Amino acid sequence: MIIALQIALCLGTVVAQATLSTMLAINGIYPDLCLVLACLLGFFTNEYKGFLFGLMVGLFQDLLAPGGVGINMILKGLAGGLAGMTAHTISTVTTLAVIIVTLALSLGCGLASLIMAYPELDGPEALRAIFRILGPQALYNSLLAAGFFWFTHMLRNSLGVVHFIQGRR
Amino acid sequence: MPRPEHTSFPISTGFRRLLAGGLILLLVLLLFLPRQAQEWLGQMGGPMALILEGPLHGVAAIQDSVGETWNHYIALQHVWEDNQRLKQEIQQLQGEQNRLREQAILAKEFEKLSKYQTTAPMTTLSARIIGRNVSNWYRAIVIDKGTRDGIHAEMGVITHAGVVGRVIRVNAITSIVLLLSDPNVAITGMIQTSRDEGIIQGTPQGTLQMKYLPPLSPVQVGDAVVTSGLTDDFPRGLHIGHIQQITKAATDLFQSGEITPIVDFSKLEGVLVITSFQPTISAESPPSEESEESEGMIPVPQHLP
Repeated sequence: MIIALQIALCLGTVVAQATLSTMLAINGIYPDLCLVLACLLGFFTNEYKGFLFGLMVGLFQDLLAPGGVGINMILKGLAGGLAGMTAHTISTVTTLAVIIVTLALSLGCGLASLIMAYPELDGPEALRAIFRILGPQALYNSLLAAGFFWFTHMLRNSLGVVHFIQGRR
Repeated sequence: MPRPEHTSFPISTGFRRLLAGGLILLLVLLLFLPRQAQEWLGQMGGPMALILEGPLHGVAAIQDSVGETWNHYIALQHVWEDNQRLKQEIQQLQGEQNRLREQAILAKEFEKLSKYQTTAPMTTLSARIIGRNVSNWYRAIVIDKGTRDGIHAEMGVITHAGVVGRVIRVNAITSIVLLLSDPNVAITGMIQTSRDEGIIQGTPQGTLQMKYLPPLSPVQVGDAVVTSGLTDDFPRGLHIGHIQQITKAATDLFQSGEITPIVDFSKLEGVLVITSFQPTISAESPPSEESEESEGMIPVPQHLP
């Protein structure tokens, strides 16, 4: 049942990415909801589950994206795994930690996607893409992830749910 | 024991008797002479009625205002209920109107596509856009037709206005179309007036660029750009856009131009996928008038450049 819900969450995120991204766009910059989900699942669970969910959501995203199948799957899987590993390494996952880690992962994934999508991009164009698209998008992703993290954290505290990470340890 | 004296009302006994006698006489007169007494009393009562009128009006006004307030309060209760009901009805009607307006706009859009579909000299399949930009690095749309509907990769996608892009991946019931503004799409095109050919490609900024124009081409700003028909996905003469800017550095071998696309890629609702087409210009079958006048197809001269 839980697995079905998790798969539905991944599917729903990809559908939301395909349909709502235009509405969520700020100045032409779309958030990567799949990356945000992979990171959040990594933060809330562990590196293993983060990696698996990242793979799943990346695969769904690849099926609706023009690039080759596997790019998003690998990148999202890595992002989820690294987020889980970070949550495992640092003592307490705070909103600031979520911002910093998601920003770094988003920059990394974006750079890899940029190289894969436009291998013949020259220096000035690559720099322009980094400063105009990659940077703002990474910031957007990290703020979105932080917002979701904070909201979920508040909800858990108000409902009196035991913190998953604490329970895991 | 002495009787207490009436100090508050010092009327003598004689006067009392006279007053009693007068009253009895008045009653006798009223009894036996009613008409005269009425007139007389009427004349006397006139000024007295004036005194009563003021308070009477006041009381009546208070009564009226109380009654009015009460009635209004009761009525307002109904008005409030009516107001709520009417508000709900207005909301429902507005929702209905919005839905109908949306349907009308969509119907108008698809009617244009359908009209173009019937007149265009090619076989097309209409499709609805169900998703956009799944990834930040590609400018793509997702359409609701796939392999089940006979869509294949590399098929051209158009609207009644002009070229949209190319099918890049096909699933069972959906397909991914890479827009013309994406740098990974390149099609052959030509300047409509001068017939000079070049490669049209998207840029990372989302604009269109026409590359490899001959150095001596008399291309000018505002010239229409159409498909050249040299590739298998688009027939000749489909509108792409207009030249916005021409650039040629001293060291460049070719001219290049920036194109303003004729299709607004951000406002697409439905598209046509070109499943097959016959070349519009051939020695055996010259293009018909109807096909040339189709919207989105720019008339092409009978002779090849």
